[in-house]
Amino acid sequence: MKKNIIALVGFLMLAVSFSFAQAKKPTIMVVPSDVWCNQNGYMLSYNNQGTIVKIPDYKRAFQENAQVLQVISQINGMMAERGFPLKNMESAIKTLESNAAEDNMRSSKDSGSGVSESPIDALKKVAKADIIMQLTWTINKTGPKKSINFNLQGLDAYTDKQIATASGTGAPSFAAEVPVLLSEAVLSHMDNFSSSLQTHFDDMFENGREIIIRIQKWDDWDGDLETEFGDDDEELGIVIEDWLADNAVKGRFNTTDMTADMALFEQVRIPLFNEKGRAIDARRFVRELSKKLKDAPFGIPNKVVMKGLGRATIILGGK
Amino acid sequence: MNKFISKIGVIAVLLVCFSFNANAQRKKANRDTKEWRYDVECEGIAKQGSKLVKVWSYSKNPKFAIEQAMKNAVHGMVFKGYSGGGNGCTSFKPLVTDVGAESEHAVFFADFFKDGGEFRKYVTAAADGNIAPGDRLKVSKKEYKIGVVVNVSTDQLRKALEAKGIIRGLSSGF
Repeated sequence: MKKNIIALVGFLMLAVSFSFAQAKKPTIMVVPSDVWCNQNGYMLSYNNQGTIVKIPDYKRAFQENAQVLQVISQINGMMAERGFPLKNMESAIKTLESNAAEDNMRSSKDSGSGVSESPIDALKKVAKADIIMQLTWTINKTGPKKSINFNLQGLDAYTDKQIATASGTGAPSFAAEVPVLLSEAVLSHMDNFSSSLQTHFDDMFENGREIIIRIQKWDDWDGDLETEFGDDDEELGIVIEDWLADNAVKGRFNTTDMTADMALFEQVRIPLFNEKGRAIDARRFVRELSKKLKDAPFGIPNKVVMKGLGRATIILGGK
Repeated sequence: MNKFISKIGVIAVLLVCFSFNANAQRKKANRDTKEWRYDVECEGIAKQGSKLVKVWSYSKNPKFAIEQAMKNAVHGMVFKGYSGGGNGCTSFKPLVTDVGAESEHAVFFADFFKDGGEFRKYVTAAADGNIAPGDRLKVSKKEYKIGVVVNVSTDQLRKALEAKGIIRGLSSGF
């Protein structure tokens, strides 16, 4: 009787934790596209071993172009009104700069040591978000008539898929100023954009979050993905594929590449919650595979590296 | 005295007939809405959070078409949407995209769209409810097609449907 009551209470607590669980919310940021930056002269150029490389100069764009601020501010406002406030790129850049300045000046009171930072940490210090809203607009002029060609793309930062879109050309006008036309363009396209974003989220809640998993190996590890394990001499690559088939939502994943040294799995659908009802991301999902590979019969030490909610890499052969 | 009574009687019978006729026309207009027998087209870019649309409704009596336009406009935003057009209009997907939602929440929608129901909170007549001369078309011997321009507060409407759990919000589940 007592056991039954304990089991019932346990079941109820689990049910409650599932019913209140919230999935990990992706961050979204509006970013002017490379095309827009190039057309408006906000690019930095440098010589990379003889090749001239151009990259967008976002900081200068935000400091000098009032139109980009107007459009981003309006989009941010409309998304906040829908209960989904966005990350503001201009503020993210400023925060990164102030954090870097503080980190450079910081030293330990006891030893005078600075804050530890690996080259990878330094490389990761950029403004980032899980979903990028890439913004492009061009002003068309025919005589005195003006119209705006507007294109807003929602890009998943990990799978590189376009998950939402809204684009089109507004009505031509003789009299309206460019800021007014831009405001109209945002107003007329945002409903379509949020509607397609909603479709993406609905799909995510039904079929799981789509992520990318990479498997790599350290140079000095003597094994590889063709090494055979167990009684049936199964190759490590196949063992990993079998684990994904068992653990991905409805067994959905694609093996994009598989060599002795690396494997790439795309369109891996992972559940939003683990068996404890906690929200999980790519790192937490891959952690289970990492544990399996560490344990017998494999005994492979490995390192899990993450990139946001949707990309994780296991490097085999050590930490 | 008899003449007076008979006159009163005739007037009473006529009143009852008019009231039956009005009631029948109202019922028909509501049936048309349920059967989605109306057209919605974008009329221009409205202020943030709302849509300026022209609703074409059908009725024997233009008066009923005008009254029904408000209901049709909200019904259209909820279930029908519209394709883009001139004046910088882009297409608008209906707020309810789940095909089974109308029957699943039949009780809510019956109450929401009843005469004088909650739908009135989300729609206002543009141009003071005046009908442009070209928007009053006689489509058959007995029927008019009337175009009325109205403003629908789509953001408020969407929030109301989200609060009732009929549609999901962007942040639902996060």
